[in-house]
Amino acid sequence: MTMDTEKLIERLAEAVEPVRPLSRPWARTAAWLLAAIPYVALVVLAVSPRADLLAKASEWRYLVEQLAALATGIAAAAAAFATTIPGYDRRILFLPALPLAIWLGSLGEGCVQDWIQFGPDGLSLRPDWFCFPAIVLVGAVPAIAMAVMLRRGAPLTPHITTALGGLAAAGLGNFGLRLFHSQDASLMVLVWQVGTVFILTAFAAWAGQYLLNWRSIVGTTPR
Amino acid sequence: MQAAQGGDTEAYVLLLKEITPRVRQIVRGQRRFLKIEDIEDLVQDILLSLHAVRATYDPRRPFMPWLMAITRHRLADAARRYTRRAAHELQVENLPVTFSDEGTNIEGSEYRDPEALRQAIMALPPGQRDAIEMLKLREMSLKEAAAASGTTIGALKASVHRAITALRKALSKEI
Repeated sequence: MTMDTEKLIERLAEAVEPVRPLSRPWARTAAWLLAAIPYVALVVLAVSPRADLLAKASEWRYLVEQLAALATGIAAAAAAFATTIPGYDRRILFLPALPLAIWLGSLGEGCVQDWIQFGPDGLSLRPDWFCFPAIVLVGAVPAIAMAVMLRRGAPLTPHITTALGGLAAAGLGNFGLRLFHSQDASLMVLVWQVGTVFILTAFAAWAGQYLLNWRSIVGTTPR
Repeated sequence: MQAAQGGDTEAYVLLLKEITPRVRQIVRGQRRFLKIEDIEDLVQDILLSLHAVRATYDPRRPFMPWLMAITRHRLADAARRYTRRAAHELQVENLPVTFSDEGTNIEGSEYRDPEALRQAIMALPPGQRDAIEMLKLREMSLKEAAAASGTTIGALKASVHRAITALRKALSKEI
């Protein structure tokens, strides 16, 4: 035993300072969006929106894909915040699954349509390296804001929490990207854009152990 | 807990004192194989974790599921830590006492004189003598000896190594 538990209780009580309870996950998601959306809009305006944006806004496929990407980001953010609250219902982890399925499903259906319409040429894959840095750029501030907010919670499931946070930021990044990047071929979007989102999500999951851990927060507590 | 979030020291002490026996009971129930001091370490770890994340408690939600979730996760973390450590740690105490090679076998050694050994131990510097007494004569674990002497495990290992070298030198001179 490193020290007497009674003494520890006294020390903790001496050190107790007023803290503001964290808001509920949905309220925190709204706060995150308030910080993230203006930045995404700023980047889109700075890079200049695609010329055919108004025309694209009336295409149902583009709308479904964009709304699903945005919904995936929002649902992943809410789930990420919920995982940092001890005792919160774990079923919320599956919340991003539905919009993600719609997003992937609409892109998959787009691939099939391209195949039917253009044959093998409709599924040609070309390098589009622009997607990766662009999604990183658009998702950077949302990712930083997410990391700062997640660190205020409890690091119960670091990898899952940061994976969801990464998915939220990258999903929002992809939403922003498609407002200025004229790449609509479903297979290209699926491989280069959604692929980037998954790579960033995996990276975030890996970083979870460094970003969220008990060692760093308990270490600041008086013993 | 709500009062503790507002900085009420008395309410916080009351809460921690009330939950500690329950947490201890849960830890003991789930980790029956642990020694009392290890159970107490886990209890303290849980209390420290609770303190660190007290802002995550929502006063509109029940307290016990919140506490139980922290307890469950900290116990799982401790189990993972233990498994990791066990995978990388060589239990020196469990090595065979002797080897088949005659050169390493001390059974027939000429300096097996308990009195000479006792005197050689007494002649060691205090730090080395304490380390030998705790780890070799009283067979305490490194963790226990470190807690008892108020030093670190690394320092104890170094003291034991130096003490054994000194003893070997002293005893070989007497042969």
